[in-house]
Amino acid sequence: MEPLTVVGSLNSLAAIAEYVMAAAEAARLDKKVSYKLRLAVDEIATNIILHSYQEAGRSGVLDLLAEFDEQALIISIEDTGDPYDPTKEPTPTDLDQPLEQRQLGGLGVYLAIHSVDKFIYERVGNKNRNTFFVKYKSKKSQEDESNSQNL
Amino acid sequence: MKINNLTIEEVTLIDLAGNVDANTALTIQEKVLPLAQTGRKILMDMTKVPYMSSAGLRVLLLLYRQVSAKDGRIVLVGLSEEIQDTMSVTGFLDFFTTRETIQSGLEALN
Repeated sequence: MEPLTVVGSLNSLAAIAEYVMAAAEAARLDKKVSYKLRLAVDEIATNIILHSYQEAGRSGVLDLLAEFDEQALIISIEDTGDPYDPTKEPTPTDLDQPLEQRQLGGLGVYLAIHSVDKFIYERVGNKNRNTFFVKYKSKKSQEDESNSQNL
Repeated sequence: MKINNLTIEEVTLIDLAGNVDANTALTIQEKVLPLAQTGRKILMDMTKVPYMSSAGLRVLLLLYRQVSAKDGRIVLVGLSEEIQDTMSVTGFLDFFTTRETIQSGLEALN
């Protein structure tokens, strides 16, 4: 798809969601898979906007690109903030604790990484690049596959 | 994002409509948290919320704590399957009472 460039502001989240959903539709992902991809991209974009740009007191853009290879829809986001690798965030350990005892943050990155088939972080030049992979495989083809394995 | 509320006797019905992301969550938080007053029963209708990110979970967490601190109660109504999934993997779903309709939500509160 054509790339999308938006300013690093929370007001851009709606446009980012629209772009992701258009890509998901073009890739014919089912409803739940599309939703989870949107969630993953939204969470990472939110983090970039709030932490890499706003809290760091700098302005910048987010560059999104959706690509369709043979097996997966691949969406990448690039930003010019300081190096930040979301995969280095610790997994929340209090998810079974009563809500009174929970920490407020940390859920976004956890959700993002667990909502897609593969998530990659790279530092490329002066940019962070976060890439999300979602396989096209539909429920039907998974069933067909497991049936053929049973034969 | 539209947020309406209606209070009848001890029950406050909050009607959310729209996507809950980091851009809209703060508005919701500011409007909804003050509604959790002493002993109040809150019925939050999310039938018209197609999307909720972790920013929404944060608001739910704050609301839950506020309601608990004020000896109130809260029931969530009309959660989409996707939102239930998000609340499930983050361990939120077990701590909230959820119902499919406003009617059954009211029954759960009373």
